[in-house]
Amino acid sequence: MLSESARMTTAAESRFRVQAPNSTTRATAIIALDAPSETLVRRLSEGRWNHATFLRVPAGDSPGDPQPDEGWLTTLGDRRTRVRDEVNAADQVIMVAAAGGHADAAAAIGRTCSLKRVTTTSLIVGAAQASDRDVSKTLAQLRPWSLMVVIANSDDYVIDMMTALRV
Amino acid sequence: MLRKEQNDLLTQTGPGTPGGRLFRCYWMPALLAGELPENDCPPVRVKILSERLIAFRDSNGRYGLIDEFCAHRGVSLWFGRNEECGLRCAYHGWKYDVSGQCIEIPSEPEASGFFNKIKLKSYPLVARGGVLWTYMGDPAAQPPLPEWEFITVPPAQTYTSKRLQENNWLQAMEGGIDSSHVSFLHRGDLNSDPLFKGAKGNQYNLSDARPVFEVVESPGGLYIGARRNAEDGKYYWRITQWVMPAFTMIAPRGNHPVHGHFWIPIDDETCWAWSFDYHPVRQLTAAELSAMRDGKGIHVRCEPGTYRPAANKDNDYLINRAAQKAGRTFSGVEGIGMQDASLQESMGPNVDRTKENLVSTDNGIIMARHRLLRAVKALLDKGVTPPGVDVEHQKVRSAAIVLPPDQPFKDGAREAMIARPSVAPASV
Repeated sequence: MLSESARMTTAAESRFRVQAPNSTTRATAIIALDAPSETLVRRLSEGRWNHATFLRVPAGDSPGDPQPDEGWLTTLGDRRTRVRDEVNAADQVIMVAAAGGHADAAAAIGRTCSLKRVTTTSLIVGAAQASDRDVSKTLAQLRPWSLMVVIANSDDYVIDMMTALRV
Repeated sequence: MLRKEQNDLLTQTGPGTPGGRLFRCYWMPALLAGELPENDCPPVRVKILSERLIAFRDSNGRYGLIDEFCAHRGVSLWFGRNEECGLRCAYHGWKYDVSGQCIEIPSEPEASGFFNKIKLKSYPLVARGGVLWTYMGDPAAQPPLPEWEFITVPPAQTYTSKRLQENNWLQAMEGGIDSSHVSFLHRGDLNSDPLFKGAKGNQYNLSDARPVFEVVESPGGLYIGARRNAEDGKYYWRITQWVMPAFTMIAPRGNHPVHGHFWIPIDDETCWAWSFDYHPVRQLTAAELSAMRDGKGIHVRCEPGTYRPAANKDNDYLINRAAQKAGRTFSGVEGIGMQDASLQESMGPNVDRTKENLVSTDNGIIMARHRLLRAVKALLDKGVTPPGVDVEHQKVRSAAIVLPPDQPFKDGAREAMIARPSVAPASV
């Protein structure tokens, strides 16, 4: 007689896996930390996503305020919005920065995420074209505030990652 | 989450499939050299990338890997007689050399030369570092022989085993780059397994169950850094190497040997888990070799005369609920290798990735899939040789290292991540 495991690990038994949805939609905030990454985030915003909010750090501004609840972001439609409100509404936050760009806004966003226990993922894009020094500089700004940092050579990775995370 | 067509593309490796074309760009481990121990020894059945083959070693010590079935009536050559520089079919005596060329058809007049018209498909089979390697792609594009460090160190410094894993290669490989499971699934073994215990790094692992990850693209694949807190505000980094498509190398512990895996598709529902342990600068001790042969560390004990683990799905992996309850093992299955295999097999022969819910710490897996898909597309569309074929991509090492908090592991461990002869591994 076959063991329980032997029977249950067959392809035939795989057909009987419950097909009901096993998760609800996650709310994701995708934030461009600098001008170069804003271009990418705008392009991403044109895709079809489950529950994504696309934001940017206001030009010439930074939410890097010592009081994170007072920090501000901007929607891609130029509406000002508080960091805390966006983080409160999110299950996960994805910060996108260009290698060598100005990612200092990560501190205020990350601090708020930390307070609210919201997962942070940071992406450094354009790494293939950047110097190690530029990558290191951006990495140093993102690392303290990220549960996961990805240094990607290709912008396409962001789409694959967002799809994989069911954004 | 991966769409079904992407999942199919990565998990199907038979002839003519996109994933199969990718694998056929590489030298792959096919057999342990010990499986063909002497000239004219019994032939061995081999299935790789969904192709049934037969391996043999002829009277002159040449290795052959050819179509398993005789061109005459389709009989398996496993029953054949390996003699006088060829493998002779047991049915009607047709004989083949290591290139698959038929060299004798006893029933036909020799002068007819009919045997010249018969040739079985064959692949090169080359011994290197105790492993027999094959390349199943276009002969015109055959790359240089592999240069992985574990096969280039002296024989006394390296040990390789293999075991059958009864699921698709991708879910096995993904386990090899999933650093976050170690603090859970293997936590019972870090301080007891003879090939892991005693390392200071184990304490970092056990005291910080929520590592922070950084994933960086490397020339051949990925560096996956898992960061945990160490003393004085420093970070303990464990850096896993993944080289495309199926090589993974786990960070070492203390002065224990360095280890890793190859995950080679047998077909779309089974794979070979190759496990290697080596030390770049010293011989393996008798105790280490004994432990490896006994199935410790990343190796497993197999059913006698086979490469099927003794703990397998037919016996529910010998699960011990009392050990699980007592915390001696996290899952109740004994041994690091079988802890991984049992859970990966439980996913089914080919898991439906449309249903999974990945999280941020799975970015190593997401990036690996992304790079595989990108490489397949570049290969199919433009004939671009995929990463990992270049032998320079193979000269890598995993590393365990303590670094200041502001130092990227890619910089701080730059030298440590390159295999250099006679240079000790970076390990904690």
